[in-house]
Amino acid sequence: MKAPHLNPGASAGVKAHRAKKDLLAPLGLPAERPADWRERALSKFDELLRQRRSLRLYLDICVRCGACADQCQFFLGGGDPNNMPVARAELLRKVYRRYFTTAGKLAGRLAGAEELTEGVLDQWYTYFYQCSECRRCAVFCPFGVDTAEITAAAREIMACIGVAPKYVVEVVKKAREVGNNLGIPEAAWRDSCQFLEQELKEETGKDIKIPVNESGAEVLLVPPSADLFSNTDTMMGYAKFFHAAGLSWTTSTYASEAGNFGLFLNYEQLRQVNRRLVESARQLRVKRLVIGECGHAWRAAQAFMDTLNGPLDFLEAPRPEHICELAARLIRQGGLKLDKAANDGLAVTYHDPCNLARAAGLTEEPREILRAVVRDFREMPAGTTREKTFCCGAGGGLLADELMDARMKGAQPRVEAFRATGADCLATPCAICKAQLPVAFEHYGVQATVSGVMDLLGKSIQL
Amino acid sequence: MGLWLPVLLYLAAATFLLGMGWRLATWLRTPVPLKIVLTPGPKSSAGVARRLAEEMLGFRSLFSADRLFWIPAWFFHLSLVLLLAGHVGGLLIPQCAQAALGLTENQFERLAQVAGGAIGLLALASALALLFRRLLGERPRAISTFSDYFALGLLLLTIATGNQMRFSSGFDLPHARLFVSGWLAFHPVPPPAAPMFAAHVLLICALLIYIPFSKLVHLGGATLFSPTLNQRNDPRERRHINPWDTRSANAHESSAP
Repeated sequence: MKAPHLNPGASAGVKAHRAKKDLLAPLGLPAERPADWRERALSKFDELLRQRRSLRLYLDICVRCGACADQCQFFLGGGDPNNMPVARAELLRKVYRRYFTTAGKLAGRLAGAEELTEGVLDQWYTYFYQCSECRRCAVFCPFGVDTAEITAAAREIMACIGVAPKYVVEVVKKAREVGNNLGIPEAAWRDSCQFLEQELKEETGKDIKIPVNESGAEVLLVPPSADLFSNTDTMMGYAKFFHAAGLSWTTSTYASEAGNFGLFLNYEQLRQVNRRLVESARQLRVKRLVIGECGHAWRAAQAFMDTLNGPLDFLEAPRPEHICELAARLIRQGGLKLDKAANDGLAVTYHDPCNLARAAGLTEEPREILRAVVRDFREMPAGTTREKTFCCGAGGGLLADELMDARMKGAQPRVEAFRATGADCLATPCAICKAQLPVAFEHYGVQATVSGVMDLLGKSIQL
Repeated sequence: MGLWLPVLLYLAAATFLLGMGWRLATWLRTPVPLKIVLTPGPKSSAGVARRLAEEMLGFRSLFSADRLFWIPAWFFHLSLVLLLAGHVGGLLIPQCAQAALGLTENQFERLAQVAGGAIGLLALASALALLFRRLLGERPRAISTFSDYFALGLLLLTIATGNQMRFSSGFDLPHARLFVSGWLAFHPVPPPAAPMFAAHVLLICALLIYIPFSKLVHLGGATLFSPTLNQRNDPRERRHINPWDTRSANAHESSAP
């Protein structure tokens, strides 16, 4: 995609609503910005520099070659120079130089150092919440400098002085108090499962269960909670799959959310939200822990769970598995009766969620499934798939209404790549992509549907 | 001329070694709490070695980002490595290098002249290309800071003064060799009288001092330390331990907010 001309300040006014006391206090974050906020922020910065080599190294070694500049969808779609990954990182780097490097302390501005001021903090809050932590820039960086690490650090520093978005903090709070991001209590969860069971009965004439808190099941499936409410076809897809595969399974109301917005706030919340999954699997005495269709959930589970809350040796398969891995394996073994005709009339393409592709290496299984269940499967243009996929524009905690302008700019490269395929259905195993892309399609005047992968599998399963 | 130049060079070299040691030690010491490998990533250590080699020797990621930019970037770094090797072979161990190549004194001089000259020009051309890219490209210009131009300027001047000596007829190469070998043996001798030689050495001193405290610190093998590239993609096969958070061993901790 051709890079736009620079448009300074184009996205400067797009800011997430700030979380207030009622949300911050329960998570142990300061309810108001403390008077000594600068000292606190710098001391947190210092702590993170000692804890994370990625942060220290990536602040030290960037040579500002600009290989990343043309790779960020938020820059490509909007042209704000601060959305070039190198420039975004400089917002933190200039403060790093001032307080933590010899050159910056001695030479100040000549060495590119800058004080942490109100204005800089405002820039941080704006642009570190216009980064979806998708890591596309890192793929093109000669040193593998990962802007997600820099963004995450900046957000963690801001959170420690009570500067955090309402949307992210609210979601984390719900996940920790209720068990899912939508704040659905147990009774409503059970109701919805029953409702979908009836739907399945009407559709197939069979008793297909969506079990809740069933102790001793083979599999604990942790979906994104959106699958039970907005992406119900995905949920029914899981149910039909487990039914057809003859696997006993359950959902949990203690851990009814695969998504982990702690990843978008700070390390401690990442760990605590993740912990619920492990506790639930232990409590329900399941043999396997399976994650549903959510991109960053799979990163948190696949890459971080064992470190944060492991070991998982109480499971028969002592590691989390992805629903697409399970389904693809069974298809390979010929264990499912599938009929592609069920999805006839759809021209389907696959969108790699950034976290699956770049942070968890899950790119082939969803394609295997799609090739097995649809006749017309197309790839998006080279350079926009697999590890080079574009983010949908709303990952990393950006799926808030007030960020719509940045979200639509960020979605543009993905939408254009989709348009190039001529497909009319985009399949993707990520709840955030599924919430964002229909809005983006409407915004850019694209007539197409967005579907989960398990939805299409579910439809083609012959019972 | 007196001995101030070799003494300054000792100070610069010491700064470089201590500075680099300190920077590398800091990177090494700092823990890597989580598995953050960029996928698809290698599952084995051999795969990691290959990935790092492709990045460091071939600039693989840069190639996939921008081929036109890759050309001057790769040739610039290649020429710097070759120039360094040339200085070792031509100034430091000319006898060994000459013997190893099986050349006569005369042939060796010719080789040094032709190869050294060509590589010097390549370095100059690619450095200029990088400078013009920064100055003329809309996005590169926007992200460039004073220190980017300062670093490039230092390198350009160092290369230019070196080239000037290589292509000027009256340069006293044997004397330069004496200066270098004397310096290395801690028996410093005064440098050749040519002002260009002093300028070249002064610029090298500036570089040596500047490198550990600037972005040029990346020449210390930064890629080797980079967790997105040097980790194996095996979080589910091998448990990655966070050295500063081992709470997970303590299973019955409450997770209430």
